[in-house]
Amino acid sequence: MIKACYIHIPFCNDICTYCDFCKYYYHKPWISKYLDALEKEIDTFYKGEELGSIYIGGGTPSSLSLDELKRLLMITKKLQRKDVEFTFEANIESLDEDKVKLLKEYGVNRISIGVQTFNPKYIHFLNRHHTKDMVKEKILMIKKYITNINIDLIYAIPGETLEELKEDIDTFLSLDIPHISTYSLIIEDHTALANQQIKPISEDVDFAMYQLICSSLSNYEHYEISNFGIPSKHNLTYWNNEEYYGFGLGASGYEGNIRYTNTRSLKHYLASCYRYQKEELSFNTMVENAFILGLRKIAGINKQEFQKRYNIDMTKLPNVKKLKEEGHLLEDENTIKINPKDIYISNDILIDFLDFNYEEYR
Amino acid sequence: MKQNNIRNFSIIAHIDHGKSTLADRILEKTGTISQREMKDQLLDSMDIERERGITIKLNAVRLKYNYKGEDYILHLIDTPGHVDFTYEVSRSLAACEGALLVVDAAQGIEAQTLANLYQALDNNLTIIPVINKIDLPNADIAKVTAELVNTIGFDEDEIILVSAKTGVGVDELLASIIERIPAPKGNNDEALQALIFDSYFDAYRGIVTLVRVINGHIKVGDKIKMMATNASYDVTELGFNSPYEHKVDTLLAGEVGYLCASIKSIEDVKVGDTITLDANPAKKPLAGYKPMKSMVFCGLYPIESSKFPLLREALEKLKLNDASLSFEPETSQALGFGFRCGFLGLLHMEIIEERLEREFNIELIATSPSVVYEVELTDKTLVMVDSPAKLPDRARIAEIREPYIKTNIFVPSEYIGPIMELCQNKRGNYLSMEYLDATRVNIHYEIPLSEIVYDFFDKLKSYTKGYASFDYELVGYKPSNLVKMDILLNGEAVDALSTIVHKDFAYKRGKAIVESLRKLIPRQQFEIPIQAVIGTKAIARADIKAMRKNVLAKCYGGDVSRKRKLLEKQKEGKKRMKMVGSVEVPQEAFLSVLSMEDE
Repeated sequence: MIKACYIHIPFCNDICTYCDFCKYYYHKPWISKYLDALEKEIDTFYKGEELGSIYIGGGTPSSLSLDELKRLLMITKKLQRKDVEFTFEANIESLDEDKVKLLKEYGVNRISIGVQTFNPKYIHFLNRHHTKDMVKEKILMIKKYITNINIDLIYAIPGETLEELKEDIDTFLSLDIPHISTYSLIIEDHTALANQQIKPISEDVDFAMYQLICSSLSNYEHYEISNFGIPSKHNLTYWNNEEYYGFGLGASGYEGNIRYTNTRSLKHYLASCYRYQKEELSFNTMVENAFILGLRKIAGINKQEFQKRYNIDMTKLPNVKKLKEEGHLLEDENTIKINPKDIYISNDILIDFLDFNYEEYR
Repeated sequence: MKQNNIRNFSIIAHIDHGKSTLADRILEKTGTISQREMKDQLLDSMDIERERGITIKLNAVRLKYNYKGEDYILHLIDTPGHVDFTYEVSRSLAACEGALLVVDAAQGIEAQTLANLYQALDNNLTIIPVINKIDLPNADIAKVTAELVNTIGFDEDEIILVSAKTGVGVDELLASIIERIPAPKGNNDEALQALIFDSYFDAYRGIVTLVRVINGHIKVGDKIKMMATNASYDVTELGFNSPYEHKVDTLLAGEVGYLCASIKSIEDVKVGDTITLDANPAKKPLAGYKPMKSMVFCGLYPIESSKFPLLREALEKLKLNDASLSFEPETSQALGFGFRCGFLGLLHMEIIEERLEREFNIELIATSPSVVYEVELTDKTLVMVDSPAKLPDRARIAEIREPYIKTNIFVPSEYIGPIMELCQNKRGNYLSMEYLDATRVNIHYEIPLSEIVYDFFDKLKSYTKGYASFDYELVGYKPSNLVKMDILLNGEAVDALSTIVHKDFAYKRGKAIVESLRKLIPRQQFEIPIQAVIGTKAIARADIKAMRKNVLAKCYGGDVSRKRKLLEKQKEGKKRMKMVGSVEVPQEAFLSVLSMEDE
């Protein structure tokens, strides 16, 4: 039963130097055509489930004009919902009070803001265009309507010092908002940073920064490697390896045993050729994914739910046993989780879950 | 064909002076191969040869040529150009009466030009000096002619000017081969003496030998005997390459060809041995060659230990046409079962490794190369040590001696300074220097072979922008203050990483090795100290810090497939590493001594 839906709005007024998402420069004539195609996609594939989470991400969804936004929100009215967490991604420059009012009117109850950094030096480096004061001002305005707010923060930007990071975290704390996602900068292929051959910060500094973040945010619930605060229902859908719709250019979805990815070509998308890639998951891959995603949660994976869903007693798996013996996995009555001291080297642990015949343990 | 109308010759040259191109042109001019069939450098049949642009294995081709109305048969026996393969050159030369000495019109005489020339003269061959690449814009024919006349002593009018690329001069060259190189002078009616100068394995026919019939003749069906091994066989097939195989019934005195006799046992065939007839054996074998000694040794271990038998089989097959390759089983605590292999030099070692990996699909770990040390024990006995692991206990050693070589380094005179600096750094003793002309010198140093084995070639190239050419001869053993240096990983000695070093250089080298290991071994979940020790004394240390970050910072539902591939790649990488104690060590680390940065 699908309970979540992601909708991608690929348009941006500026392209961030680290971004490898599917995005296009905002171009007015494309928007209405895009929204037409999106509506058609939803009409074609949405089967009328009651959704617990809707997430509009990008790109920069807030780059849409008030009218365009209204049209988008109208389309989302087709999605049935119950106790929904309805998130809208925005950046500081393009979000204004009229848009926030409209979002609220259409049921949006969570705003996720890509701030990334408050430091002017790195704002410029990432090709973003806000200031610290703008952020403070906008947050105050948003809070008048919607209080469930998230901020994205990037750390480990080449050149960044622990002091500078501390300053960013303090600024975040002063804003008094309930959720933060903090990502160590990844220099992905085909991004401006990769093209400029920017080298990542040293492993040791990166780790020290992560420790600083964890200790500074001790009043927030650290519930996933990079996420702190009141857990987002939408994100948990992913990390619990649950199904969700993906609509829009380049979006991915997960239905039954199929993971699909939409085309990244606007031309194809506007011609209603939506699905680009479909991967049919074997049972083994499905279980692999359950571990790769589930062990991102600090609390780990619930053993009973896992057993119910995959018909496997986790504690009988030799890789789980071995990792437990080595102290990399911790087990309590209900869950198995990665030892918190190892969470930042979790890849080294996760690889033990690959190439394994889980079928045998069903 | 009458012996009078046969000519057997080789082409000898410094590397890159156009030997293979000239061979191709001769094949084309004699109509042996049409232009259409011509692939670049036809005689270099191995992929590695074509890729690296060098000749490793020799090849023999029969050519037909009509000169002044008469038909002639020419046998062209190709030779390798690199100093490591000097031995192979001598094998080819023993099957010939003449040699073309090819010199590049722009480069002039180089180190191997001379080395090869001396070998040809040792074999009493008639030499035809050839200046090649005369079409090059920077060709300096007058200068190179002067070098040939002044340094070697040719007459100016002996020299033939050729462009193998355009074909200019090749006809004249063919004429001179017939006019100047003597015909073979064997006797068809005497007892058979055929020299084996190469052999290789063929899946259908067994071992195929390449032979030069010196005296007597040989027919299909003859019962033959190998004079060194006493093995006897019935000849099943005779033929020659032109360049494809042609079967014949008989090979006569003076001819070159191949011989099959359903030979299955690799030990029975020794390159350099003489084949005679069982019924009417020759009184004595031909002179043959002095067996070549391996100069450089290293351990070769399969990454997958189950491939050990496969590795043995592969080495046996390679040895068949590479007499200079030697191997014996050895065991390493760190690497398991493998072979201690002996090579002529570093290039030879690289090529064998590459062939094992490519042709036999065996992934290898190679340990640092070592030379053979002569160790005198306190009780006066002598031991030859080709591996640091075999070095006796220090208390039992009276003296260690190491092999020294004498260099010929040909270089433009402006590089004398850098060359001297390099040779000093390599523990060299200056001997002398000769001016070839106003701008080029030949520098002689005495240097321990072990220093050449490391990175001398690369250094030489970078110190001289590639202008130097280098050749050496072994001059014997000299006492040296040598010690065994062990490498400890996480406190445990790794036998495969031990080296023998000069005491005065141990500190520097130890530091360089631990530094290079620190860079090559990836971070692991715990801190790993790397130490270089002599006996129990640590002389250098570096630490691999514990892994701090190996995490997918971001992973949402949409990219789990992509992130899974990333993890799979990590897992693959881990599989390719060898567990040494508790440490995962990548293949390259075992050659870290070679990848040291500038000392």
